[in-house]
Amino acid sequence: MMGIDISKIYSQFIHDKQDSSRTFQWAYDNSFFFFIFIGLLLFLFLAQKDRRLRWALLTGFSFYFYYKAIGYLPYVLLISTIVNYGLGKVLIKDYKDVLKKAALIFGVVFNVGALGYYKYTNFLFSAFANFKGQEYTPLAIIIPMGISYFSFKALSYLFDIYYGSLEKEYSFSDFLLYMVFFPSVMQGPIDKSRDFLPQIDNDYHLDREGAAKGIFLIMSGLIKKVVIADYLRFFLVERVMESPDRFTGVEILIAIYGYAIYIYCNFSGFTDMGIGIAQLMGFKLTDNFNFPYKAKSVAEFWRRWHMSLSSWLQEYLFVPLQMSMRTLRLMGNVLAVFITFVICGVWHGASWNFIIWGALHAFFMAFALAIKKPKENFYKLIRIDRLVKTKAWGVLQVIFTFHLICFTWIVFSIPDLKIIPYGIQMTNNFTFYINIPDSVVMHQMYDQMTMFFKANVFWQFIAAYPMIMVLLVSAFVLHYIPASVYTKAEYYFSKLPIVVQAQVLTLVIWIVTQSRFADSPPPIYFNF
Amino acid sequence: MITEKFKSAILKELKLDEFEIKDETLANSIPGWDSLNHINVILAIEKEFSVKFKSIEVLKCKNVGDLQKLVDLKLNK
Repeated sequence: MMGIDISKIYSQFIHDKQDSSRTFQWAYDNSFFFFIFIGLLLFLFLAQKDRRLRWALLTGFSFYFYYKAIGYLPYVLLISTIVNYGLGKVLIKDYKDVLKKAALIFGVVFNVGALGYYKYTNFLFSAFANFKGQEYTPLAIIIPMGISYFSFKALSYLFDIYYGSLEKEYSFSDFLLYMVFFPSVMQGPIDKSRDFLPQIDNDYHLDREGAAKGIFLIMSGLIKKVVIADYLRFFLVERVMESPDRFTGVEILIAIYGYAIYIYCNFSGFTDMGIGIAQLMGFKLTDNFNFPYKAKSVAEFWRRWHMSLSSWLQEYLFVPLQMSMRTLRLMGNVLAVFITFVICGVWHGASWNFIIWGALHAFFMAFALAIKKPKENFYKLIRIDRLVKTKAWGVLQVIFTFHLICFTWIVFSIPDLKIIPYGIQMTNNFTFYINIPDSVVMHQMYDQMTMFFKANVFWQFIAAYPMIMVLLVSAFVLHYIPASVYTKAEYYFSKLPIVVQAQVLTLVIWIVTQSRFADSPPPIYFNF
Repeated sequence: MITEKFKSAILKELKLDEFEIKDETLANSIPGWDSLNHINVILAIEKEFSVKFKSIEVLKCKNVGDLQKLVDLKLNK
C-alpha cells in the first residue's frame, strides 16, 4: 500500500530552519508558493463581496508569507504599523498646526531612526573605528525583512495625510494590510498610501483581461528573473567580478553589459511577478520599470528605473527640498538633486559603493542641469540645433546614457570599495591627505581593460559561451523593441482560449524549471 | 477661476504662446513645467503678484486651480 508521509507535507508549510538561504527562495519562483497562492485566489473569489473576509484572507496570508520566509512574525513591522497609525490619527484630527508638524517630524525621526538603527549602525561604527585606526567587531543586528520598503510606505501615509492627499480616514486594519501586503513586502514596489488604500474597498473582480495581464506579467517576470538574470549572474557576472585579473578586457566589457542586463532582469523580473500576483488578487500596484535603458539622459533613466522609489523621493524629498531653497534658483535645484540622490544611494545599503553610486548619479544630473542653457546656445552657435532633434541623435544619446549607467553599475556592484586616505607630497616635509575611494577589483578591471584588450577574444568568447551571448543579445533586443509590441502581445494573449493560455503558462514554467540550477541566487534588491 | 494675469505669468515663464489652462489642469501636463522647472514657475508667480508662499502651501496644491486659489487668498488678506 502506498503511504503518504504527512510530516513531509506539513514541513512544506513551515519555515525551513535548516537552510537559511531558503529565506530568499520562498518567493514567487517557488512552485509550492504558486500552489497555495491558487488556493488563496479561490477563497478570494468565494469572498468577493465580503470586504471583511477578504481583508482577513489577504492579511492572514501576508503574515504567513512573512513567517514562511523568516521563521517568525514581523514584530518590527507591527510596531511600526501601530506607531505610524497613531501618528496618522494626530495628523487627521483638527489639532493645531504646531502639533501636526510635531507629529510629522516625530514620524520622520521614528521611521528614519528605525531604518538607520537596523541598517546603518554597524556601518557607522565601523567607519568611525576605521577613521581612528581601530578594529571593529560588528554587532549582531538582524535587519527586518522589507524594512526599507515598509518604512517608506509608512512615511508616504503620513505625508499623504499631512498634504491632504488621502480622501478619507482608513481603519487600522486597512493600514495594516497596506503595510504587510505580501506581493510588495519583500522588494516593493513602494506604493503610495493614496494609491493603495482606496483599492481595499473595491469588490474582488477578475475579468479575462485582468487575469491574462497578471499571468503575462508573472511569465515575463519568471523568464527575466530565473532564465536571464540567474544564468548571467552565475556564469558571467560573478565569475568575472570576483577576480577580474583572470579575464581579458573584452570579457570584462561583456560582463559589464551583462551586469546591466542582470540587475535589470533580476529586479524588474521580481517586481513584475509581484505586480502580476497583486493583479490576480484585484490590486493595481505602482509600475516600477519602463525600459530604463531607453533613457536619453540620466534624469530620464530615473523616470524609468525603480519608478516607485524615484517618484517617492521626488514627491516627499526632492520637491520639498527644492521648494525651500527656491530662491537659490539653479543652485537650489542642484543642491536638492545632490541631497536626494546621496540619500537614494544610502537607502540601497550601508556601504561606500552605494553612497558613491548615488553621488555619481547626482553629479551627472546636476552637471546636465548646469550646462543645459549654455549647451543649447552652443548648439545654435555651431548650427546643429536641428540635428540634435533628430532620431539619430536620440540614438546616440541612448547609447551614451547607457554607458554612463553601466559605469555607475560598476561602482554599485563592487563590494570591496573603501575610502582610503591618499597622500600627496606637497613639499619635503608636508604631505596633504585626501580621502579617495579605492577598490582592488576596480583596479584590476581597469588594468585588464587598458592592457589586455584584444578584440579577437570576442569571437572566441561567442564560440565558447554561446548561451551567454544568446541570452545577452535577446535581452537587449527585448529591451529595445517598441513597448507597443508588449501591449499587443498581452492583448492577443488575453484573447486566447483559457486552455491555450494554460498551455503557454505551463510551457514557461517548464522552461524556467529546466534552466534553473540548484542554488538560485537571492534577488538582489531583497537586501535593501 | 484661472485669471488672465495668472495664466500669462505661467506661459511667459515657460515660453509658451498659448496653452489652455483650467482649474483641474495638472502642472506636469503643461509643456515645460517639469520637476526641475517647477521652482522657476513658482518664483515667477510670486514675483508677478508680489506674494510669498510657504513651502507647505505650494506642496498642498493638487492642480493649477489650487495654486490660483492660493494666490487669491494671499491677495485678499
